[in-house]
Amino acid sequence: MTFPTDENVIIGLERADDAGVYRISDDLALIQTVDFFTPIVDDPYWFGQIAAANALSDVYAMGGTPKTAMNLVAFPAKTMDLGILRQIIQGGVDKLKEAEVVLIGGHSIEDKEIKYGLSVTGLIHPERVLVKKNLRPGDHLVLTKPLGTGIVNTAIKAAMVSAQLVEKVTRLMAMLNRDAARIMEDFEISACTDVTGFGLLGHLAEMVKGSGCSARIVSSQVPVIPEAEDFAAMGLIPAGAYKNREFREQMISFAGSVPRTLQDLLFDPQTSGGLLISVGEAHCKDLVSALKDKGITEAARIGDVVEDQKESISIV
Amino acid sequence: MKEIDARGLACPGPVLQTKAALQEGSLNEVRVIVDNAASQQNVQRFLESQGFVAVLEQAGTDYVVSGNGNSIPAVQPQPAMESHGDAKKIMVMCATDRLGFGDDELGLKLMVNFLRTLKEMGDELWRLVLVNNGVRLAIAGSEVLDDLKAYEAAGLKILVCGTCLDHFNLLEEKGVGVTTNMLDIVTAMQVADRVITV
Repeated sequence: MTFPTDENVIIGLERADDAGVYRISDDLALIQTVDFFTPIVDDPYWFGQIAAANALSDVYAMGGTPKTAMNLVAFPAKTMDLGILRQIIQGGVDKLKEAEVVLIGGHSIEDKEIKYGLSVTGLIHPERVLVKKNLRPGDHLVLTKPLGTGIVNTAIKAAMVSAQLVEKVTRLMAMLNRDAARIMEDFEISACTDVTGFGLLGHLAEMVKGSGCSARIVSSQVPVIPEAEDFAAMGLIPAGAYKNREFREQMISFAGSVPRTLQDLLFDPQTSGGLLISVGEAHCKDLVSALKDKGITEAARIGDVVEDQKESISIV
Repeated sequence: MKEIDARGLACPGPVLQTKAALQEGSLNEVRVIVDNAASQQNVQRFLESQGFVAVLEQAGTDYVVSGNGNSIPAVQPQPAMESHGDAKKIMVMCATDRLGFGDDELGLKLMVNFLRTLKEMGDELWRLVLVNNGVRLAIAGSEVLDDLKAYEAAGLKILVCGTCLDHFNLLEEKGVGVTTNMLDIVTAMQVADRVITV
């Protein structure tokens, strides 16, 4: 299929990234993205917050500043209390306020199943767009949020998660990637993406493919939700994690010492996950401490980009 | 043997059905039929976490997991699994293979008795951590090895200090538990509601 395009498309479907980027002038470009999904937590207000944080994340992952948003709503208005919809939207609105983004419209339809999300538009300087596919050998890889939300959400469906952990994971998913994105501006960043449905290794694979280099991950350094490993051991793993592994298996190798449950976590699909940042070696330490200072306490260097044209990922 | 048809269920459905079946009766053999490879692997993981030996096969569009748990005691109705619900989390740390000071022979006996009686804590028993001489409880030839294995099969997480195993040159001899490090131990202490050190 060929897609309509013009000379001002900086990032379009031809080289799909976290969001599309369109040049308005020499020093201004639009970033556009849209995302919506079915409820992932029971609490409608928190679901709204998570959906908004998730939609905004793609703009942050491109290095941009989100400015406006529109709601996308599907709701069974005939059978369900409209108060629930109000709470979902309130959650979204509150998250937008936190992000200093304005809501300027939206559209809703009647549907059997609740769906909520947003389209988000942001701004960026055309020269400062952070694409996925620009890894440089010697770079260090930094992840800003712990992995495991997919597995914990599966365990929530199985009613095996304590209220305490539900709250912790909900807050984690609702946490904006804004602060991490702002901190990135002060450092020499080569490439960035946000970790969502393909899991850490799926998104890293997207970065590696076509980059001419390979990546090495130190599994013990990867931040994870500790309980998620226990749930994985019990088989509470979303089907998406298996699909993610199957899809990228050929380019990924594990050392024998990496436990199976940790491997599962590396493929676990994330909702509103953290940023995966490729940063110049000289800046990595300062980037991680700046992230931690700003309250992104689980940010960690998880591995390196290596000069190896095989475009593979090895995990030790 | 019980057969569970979990076809048509999305994750975590098949695991939940299997779990419910195990809790219903003390099953030693179970055959679970699912309709996709992800569910098959999840059921395999679950059965293995319960101490079963799981064998996978594919029959047409069906994926089958056969579990055999003959080698272990029947599954407890409510294993002290990680979900833990609202139960208190008690962490027991053994830094020795003998209970108390004085007569070593007596101390050894007492420790065996202590570990066997620990199950009375029920759901609240959350972690068993073995450090220093305590790691000797988890190695081949230990009098309580089978008891510890039964605990682990019922869902208790047993952490065995890697530095200590290495120190005693016992890394290869470990028969139960997960090798751990000080960071895991300290984190577990922080998360636990109560830490009992022996």
